[in-house]
Amino acid sequence: MSDFDDHGPTSLPEPPPPPPEPEPPKPVEVFADYVDGMTAGVERVSIWSKPDAILLRFASGDELTWALDDLRALPDQADARGIVVKPGHDSLERLIVRDPGIAIHIRENAKRLGQRPPVTNIPRIAGWASGAVASVALIIFVLVPIMANQLATYLPPEGERALGDATFGQIRTALSSDASPVSLCEKPEGMAAITAIEKRLNAEVDLPYPVEIAVLDHELVNAFALPGGRIIVFRGLIDDAQNAEEVTAVIAHEIGHVANRDPTRDALRSAGSIGVLGLLFGDFAGGTVMLFLANQLVNAKYSQAAETGADAYAHDLLQRADIDPKWIGTFFERMVEEYGDAEGVMAHLSSHPQSRARIEAAATASGGRTYRNEVLTDAQWAALREVCGPRPASDDGNDKSPDDDAEEEGWEEPDTRRQDAPTGLSGDN
Amino acid sequence: MAFADLRTDYAGEKPRIFNLALVTGVFTVLTVGFYRFWMKTRMRRYYWSAIRPGGIPLEYVGTPTEKLLGFFTAVVFLAFYIGIVNLILMFFSFSLFEGTAPAYAVSVVGLTPMIFFAQYRARRYVLARTRWRGIRFGLEPGVAGFVWRSMLHWGLTVVTAGLYWPVKTYYLEKYRVDRTYYGDHRMHQGGSWKTLVKPMIHVYLALVTLVAVVAVTTVTEDPRYAPLGMLGMGWFVYGLAHWKAQSFKALTETKTLGDVRLRTAPRTGRIIGIYAGGWAAMFGIFVAASIVIGIVVAMIVAAVGSNLFADIEEGNLAAIPRFVPILFGLLIYFSYFVFWSVLKETFISLPMMKHFAEVTEIVNPDALRAVRQRARDEFAEAEGFADALPLGDAF
Ligand SMILES: [Zn+2]
Repeated sequence: MSDFDDHGPTSLPEPPPPPPEPEPPKPVEVFADYVDGMTAGVERVSIWSKPDAILLRFASGDELTWALDDLRALPDQADARGIVVKPGHDSLERLIVRDPGIAIHIRENAKRLGQRPPVTNIPRIAGWASGAVASVALIIFVLVPIMANQLATYLPPEGERALGDATFGQIRTALSSDASPVSLCEKPEGMAAITAIEKRLNAEVDLPYPVEIAVLDHELVNAFALPGGRIIVFRGLIDDAQNAEEVTAVIAHEIGHVANRDPTRDALRSAGSIGVLGLLFGDFAGGTVMLFLANQLVNAKYSQAAETGADAYAHDLLQRADIDPKWIGTFFERMVEEYGDAEGVMAHLSSHPQSRARIEAAATASGGRTYRNEVLTDAQWAALREVCGPRPASDDGNDKSPDDDAEEEGWEEPDTRRQDAPTGLSGDN
Repeated sequence: MAFADLRTDYAGEKPRIFNLALVTGVFTVLTVGFYRFWMKTRMRRYYWSAIRPGGIPLEYVGTPTEKLLGFFTAVVFLAFYIGIVNLILMFFSFSLFEGTAPAYAVSVVGLTPMIFFAQYRARRYVLARTRWRGIRFGLEPGVAGFVWRSMLHWGLTVVTAGLYWPVKTYYLEKYRVDRTYYGDHRMHQGGSWKTLVKPMIHVYLALVTLVAVVAVTTVTEDPRYAPLGMLGMGWFVYGLAHWKAQSFKALTETKTLGDVRLRTAPRTGRIIGIYAGGWAAMFGIFVAASIVIGIVVAMIVAAVGSNLFADIEEGNLAAIPRFVPILFGLLIYFSYFVFWSVLKETFISLPMMKHFAEVTEIVNPDALRAVRQRARDEFAEAEGFADALPLGDAF
């Protein structure tokens, strides 16, 4: 028996949480809708209160008794004044109560309305969760890096250049404070000094393609290599360097990245891992930030090995060019003093961790012998320092001289101070 | 014995959906996204229970943990595909074309079958977890047919620059509706694709107008025609609302479940009103909130930071702990996203569902008495694929 006639639209303005009110008087018959979970019929039943139970009386005269302790309410229901209950977690039966009086009666007397069904699939969830973590880890930390390493060596140089050019454009735009990309520094005298450094290092033999060094007019104390042999040095790094040897040492390190094809590996690896990480965070609000952070963490793991490799290459290259590898160390030393070790990761030569260890490695590589150094003449060094244009008068020198630095570190190398001696073009051999 | 048609009540209220969306949204952010399975479940319970055909609410019985399980399942399968395939595509894109664009294009095309797969599976999961009058809905397995049909119809839609849209909409809807069950009764999508052409007519005409205005303005170089473009834009917006209302009507009134039918009368004007009012409310709230935040920050700085100004004047910014601006930035960033979705639920989704529910009736409900329960559709991966692939929050 189903009657729907009295289900007009209830357009009463309903205040959300009902204030507790005294129970409705018992003898008045109150009704609710019952569905049995077997058929799509709805039965109107009258509700009667019994000790520890409610009684559902059907029009046919049949009765159902539901123990109050068995009753469970459906959560998050839109009709806050009514209630929908079922007799037990697994029951398909429903009692849809719209009468606020009975709803209150049930809420006050049934003690386990809010009890949740036990979660039965925990072992399966745990299993699949481990599976998901394992497969993501396998892909991000094993498969993608291996493939990136392999594919990086097969990528034709033109492809690498295209990859590097795309990234270069993005970086110039990203670092810019206004609409136009960060400008390139191209004063001819300064660029000639850069060429002199390149020639002195003479790394071409190790490289799959020629190196191309660009200076960006930005105050970041940083330098990095891009796929395809492009090396970017920021003006801030040249400003911060004490002499041409420090700049040369940093460039040697970046050439190490180029020789090892690290930037290409990085780019391919990111292409693979970003999408996978994107899966994990889904499309929840602000997931992009999480994605970015996670990718940084993954990259940090690889950068350590890459940095050590690039340093080792740089030590060798500098020694071959008769330049003291310690200059990598002195530069980092000052960075650590200025920014601290932890900050170093973020602030300069991004993702170059373990600065202390690198300084020591550079000192070890220096090995106590003497070097000719003299990468640039005074005039060339001055030109390099003005590659982006004339320097402000207040910023014309460094607070420490190379002498102080060397002596503090206990290095006794008079040669390093011979920069002022105009012994010809140092970069021409 | 004549039974009245069943009208649909709507019990959802803005303040309650606002609270629910806000609380679950904040939890989702705090748990780096993992609460989203609980958020979706709770929001659906609310939205489902608000729709009450004949006074009996729909019930959503999906659980958060099965969604979590489904998500992990999908990640296991998708991680491999997405990671390795993207890497290889990027490699070939740079080797052969020296650019990223081909890789992204191929990657998107490669993902489309996966997306259609996820859509059908998600629909099956949601229907299997929806009950009305205690009876389960269900969707028959048939994902392969849906994927190739989707590829075909969407391909034709792209090729015809959208002209084919109504046809695509009809056939994809028919494929799913014809496999939909309520209890042991199968639903049927009647009508034909032709019935969807008329609802689209305003969109077509507005587009023709816009193209004509652009063409005339370019050819004659006479700026006086430009205002007609505004008219065309307005017409286009009206056309979209008209399509939403009339395509719903055309598709709904031709759906049958045995002898049971549906009748509906959504109004284009009401839909435009909901969007206009909703956007206005959201915009107003964001502007008001920005002003309030500005005042509060100014007051805090004035009260606490008297030496802050001194520090800033001396250029001594290091005096401010580094984490303060970072924390503040993150807070603003996440608040923006959370409130955006909360306000959208409150001022657009809920009123829209209310309108569509209230204008829809069940005709000849007596025939429902023949419907019997169907077996539970166990569904290991739930809507995991749809969750892992960013498909938006389609119900
Ligand atoms: Zn490096």
